[in-house]
Amino acid sequence: MKTGISKAVERTDARKKIRGEAEYIADRHFEEQLYAKTIRSSKAKARILEIRLPEMPADYFAVGRNDVPGLNRMRTVVSDHPIFAEEQVEYIGQPLFLLVGPDREKLCDLADMVNIRYEEEAGVFTLEEAEKQDTVFTDYQYRKGDPAAAFRDAAQIIEEEFRTGYQEHAYLEPQGIAAEYRNGILYVYGSMQCPYYVRNALLETMAIPDKQIRIIQTVTGGAFGGKEEFPSLTACQVAVAAKKTEKPVMMIYDRDEDIRCSTKRHPSLIRCRAALDKNNAVTGLEMDVLLNAGAYNGLSPVVLQRALFSATGVYDIPHLRVRGRNYRTNMTPSGAFRGFGAPQSIFAIEMLMLQIAVRLGEDPLEYKMRHALKQGSQTCTGGKVREEVKLPEIVGKIRKMSAYVKKQKNKKPFSGIGASLFLHGCGFTGRGESDIRGKVILSKDKDSVTLRVSSVEMGQGAETVLRKIVAQSLDIPIEKVNYAQVDTGAVPDSGPTVASRTTMIVGGLLQECAKEMKARWRECDRLEIEKVYQHPSWLHWDDSTFQGDAYPVYSWGANIAEVEVDPISYEISVKKIYAVYDVGVPVDLRTLDGQMQGGIAQGIGWATIELMEGEAGRLKQSNLTDYKVPTSMDTPEMEIAYVNNPYPYGPFGAKCAGELPFVGSPPAVAAAVSDALGRKINYIPLTPESLMESDNED
Amino acid sequence: MKIEFTLNGEKKHLDVHAATRLLDVLRGHFGLIGVKEGCGEGECGACMVLINGRAMNSCMIPMGNLEGKNVITPEAFCQSERGRIIEDAFMEAGAVQCGFCTPGFIMATASLLNANPDPDEAQIREALSGNLCRCTGYTAIVRAVRIAAGKGAGAC
Amino acid sequence: MLDGYLPAKLSEALDMMAECDCIPFAGGTDLMVQHARGSGVRPCFDKTLLFVSALKELKTFDLMGKTLRIGAAVTLSELLENAATPQIFKEILRQMAAAPTRHMATLAGNICNASPAGDTLPYLYAMDAEVILQSRNETRVLPVADFITAPKRTQRKNDELLTGIRIPAAEFNVESYRKLGQRKGMSLTKASFLGLASTANGRIEDIRIALGSVAPHIVRSRKIESKLTGKNIKDIPGILQELQKDYSALIRPIDDARSTAAYRKQVSLRLIRDFLINCMLKKIP
Repeated sequence: MKTGISKAVERTDARKKIRGEAEYIADRHFEEQLYAKTIRSSKAKARILEIRLPEMPADYFAVGRNDVPGLNRMRTVVSDHPIFAEEQVEYIGQPLFLLVGPDREKLCDLADMVNIRYEEEAGVFTLEEAEKQDTVFTDYQYRKGDPAAAFRDAAQIIEEEFRTGYQEHAYLEPQGIAAEYRNGILYVYGSMQCPYYVRNALLETMAIPDKQIRIIQTVTGGAFGGKEEFPSLTACQVAVAAKKTEKPVMMIYDRDEDIRCSTKRHPSLIRCRAALDKNNAVTGLEMDVLLNAGAYNGLSPVVLQRALFSATGVYDIPHLRVRGRNYRTNMTPSGAFRGFGAPQSIFAIEMLMLQIAVRLGEDPLEYKMRHALKQGSQTCTGGKVREEVKLPEIVGKIRKMSAYVKKQKNKKPFSGIGASLFLHGCGFTGRGESDIRGKVILSKDKDSVTLRVSSVEMGQGAETVLRKIVAQSLDIPIEKVNYAQVDTGAVPDSGPTVASRTTMIVGGLLQECAKEMKARWRECDRLEIEKVYQHPSWLHWDDSTFQGDAYPVYSWGANIAEVEVDPISYEISVKKIYAVYDVGVPVDLRTLDGQMQGGIAQGIGWATIELMEGEAGRLKQSNLTDYKVPTSMDTPEMEIAYVNNPYPYGPFGAKCAGELPFVGSPPAVAAAVSDALGRKINYIPLTPESLMESDNED
Repeated sequence: MKIEFTLNGEKKHLDVHAATRLLDVLRGHFGLIGVKEGCGEGECGACMVLINGRAMNSCMIPMGNLEGKNVITPEAFCQSERGRIIEDAFMEAGAVQCGFCTPGFIMATASLLNANPDPDEAQIREALSGNLCRCTGYTAIVRAVRIAAGKGAGAC
Repeated sequence: MLDGYLPAKLSEALDMMAECDCIPFAGGTDLMVQHARGSGVRPCFDKTLLFVSALKELKTFDLMGKTLRIGAAVTLSELLENAATPQIFKEILRQMAAAPTRHMATLAGNICNASPAGDTLPYLYAMDAEVILQSRNETRVLPVADFITAPKRTQRKNDELLTGIRIPAAEFNVESYRKLGQRKGMSLTKASFLGLASTANGRIEDIRIALGSVAPHIVRSRKIESKLTGKNIKDIPGILQELQKDYSALIRPIDDARSTAAYRKQVSLRLIRDFLINCMLKKIP
């Protein structure tokens, strides 16, 4: 893997970032630019009785719902979030209107003088309250086999309940967006993952034709899903403001505002029942997934779908009954976040399998492997595992790397070792890819080429990887491959930069273009090739029954975590993470390592220190002082390896990679903590407070 | 207040409000966009600069405290011999992803290597703990600092 | 109102303090955050900022006899780098914030901020440290423990400047410091414990225990400590329960974004027990 496509090349965007030359949105300046500041609801659920504004100086404006030319709703899967609140507010931080003007300090002064009267109503905040009051947004279910029979004939039934918490993306660059009108065209610039989502939202909110809208992505300082749907909201807001003021309008979030008001990972409550036959094999599983979607449903239905289609993890469980519900609460809306629902389910199934093994006195890793999916197995939705499942090789490798057996035997008190097995469905869920039908363009100008896609570089390395795929396919130097500025006026809609789909789907289309271009290289100086995604004919999916191939292929992995728990304070130290992944063929080892290391660290954060709690609609941890993400001192040494498993339909054999590491580290760390303390772990984050509370020793 | 200080080797005289943040002066007045605002409360390190050779968060520095100080920003630092070594080390290790935190890490690395040209892993992790990165998991950044130290970035 | 003033000498600073309403401003790492107004906006102060960090008179660091004298403008990094700083104090400083903050922040600032979570306070309380307060016409010396009256409240008068800190020397052969934060790197303290003792021939000659962030003020009790002074170490287990009960009455923590009252209390009692049993018993000859 040290040669060919896997051999690392220099990242094409990195030097200008190091030198401080890369222009993020806050680094831009437009002539006569105005700034926007959002005035937000201070109540979790209320009717707005009156808004009193201070006297506005010249050049200062209030921009609200009455200024919206089209629909006052942000377009997404469920278009229910108002661009600006109407009579009713549903969460603390909900945008009411913007104050817009040339000086940010003056805007702060004006904001301090705004007076709003509310009539408060009783809110719903936790999943328990929501379930009791049945504030359900979405209710899905599917089944496989004959679960009733499996439970009827079971030798043993094991029931457990699992919980996971909020997580904040904490991308280092806060949300930022700008809009201006030039020559009758609306330009929107900003930090975003999905320029075409933003465009589609603007079409409805601004009620103008698509020829009058151009969305230009600026250098994006981390996203992780946090800049998937959210920028559609802020883009509509600044566009309305730019229209009203007839000036460019820039909006950069403060960090605490970003943490309080942008989307979060869905908190979950997952109830599991497993049926074991007399050989101790899990033959049946019932899983009930409850997600806290917050005040608006947005794209939560799709998050719930991925959660449900990941219910059985890497295991072949013949009889299933899976149900999932998104609940409406008066909390900040939850949304896309690396893993997209799968991390919650994988945590539940991994901890369940561990607990069953421990109860039975079996080695957890061996017990899990006895249930592992194989090539030809049926997936949880009755699809087919088509690729070779290299879990035996993965597990063999990680056992050796980590000296797992030896370490299990020589265990010291309060230290533990834990393993996780996991997969991630590559690309969009269900019909997603066939609905979007991503399009890419590759054009040639003499000896150089330009690739045009709407996939964005947001830190993950898309720019380098896509250029490299084209360069190697054409057998030309990477410097001869240009990555066109992502501008909806100039690049086709190759779909959003989400779901670990960029390398596999978009890269795959580009490789097809490049292959054709290579064959026609000498034809002429200028040549343009366009490809549109075709969903493989052998994949079947029924969206009404959730039956069939939810994903075209899966990436796989195993993690082993070593932890120490402080016997006095219950602080957790993650000492080491071992990881082995099957992502098909690594397209660039250094970029891939970066994704894996970052995903592992983010997962460790979610599992240990990243506590975010709601309290009557308010997030208690709302800045980087109170909400802690891991630092260099909190992140362990990581040893990472890959097994090669070329996917015939991915570019150079590549499958998905970006979300996979996030899915794997939380259950491995939790399993290690369980091992260290000799007790069941049914929730994350594993704060010292929670571990001590459940300890009866004192 | 009238303030005199050195910015990237040049003497500067400014008449500014004493509480104005150095961060805003660097970005707004001098257009030095390598200095980023990530949190505005000293938690993330994206706004780091070198002041008299030591890394500090420019969001926490009012101009009134800058009299006579020597300020180096990432832009100018990367032009130096030591800056080039550190830049190459960050490239080699793959320590850059979204890049928003990167200039701050460059400053923290320079500050560490100024004080300790040959730090061990624990010292590196300690010295970088004032900079947040959400992309890399720090592994590659720690490696970059080791590479830079090995190539003598602390000695020149 | 003047926005800021940069005095050339201490006497000039004291004149300013006497003549107008000023905020003495050293490293500013607390003040800038407390007065921040958001991205790209100047922090808002309602008084003149008096910048004292460049005053030579406040940059002093020396030993007067056995007493450590630290000027108010000495940064935490400078303290860490000075050979005269006691090892246990360095250990506390090393765990405080991160290097970039320590390059700016001062010990004087940590005292004047008067937060029960102030990282240096348990040490200063345990060492019976004193602050020097100077005004144009007067100099007074107060124990740190008296200077801080409540969270965010001190006895500093409007015309006074805290110019230095004095830490009397003391030798210990048992030293234990634990800081608990939400993570290992750069954290505010959610609970901290400092235990210092000197023993000889199995007897306790001097013992000091201070706890941070678990009550509105730093917890240190001479009354409880006196129950231990003069005792044989091997007799500690016999009175442990009584001591824990005594401390329990003083530990009055709160729930907040960073921890819970229950945890803070329980972990404090565990740290006390660990110090008195595990650390001390090792010193039985």
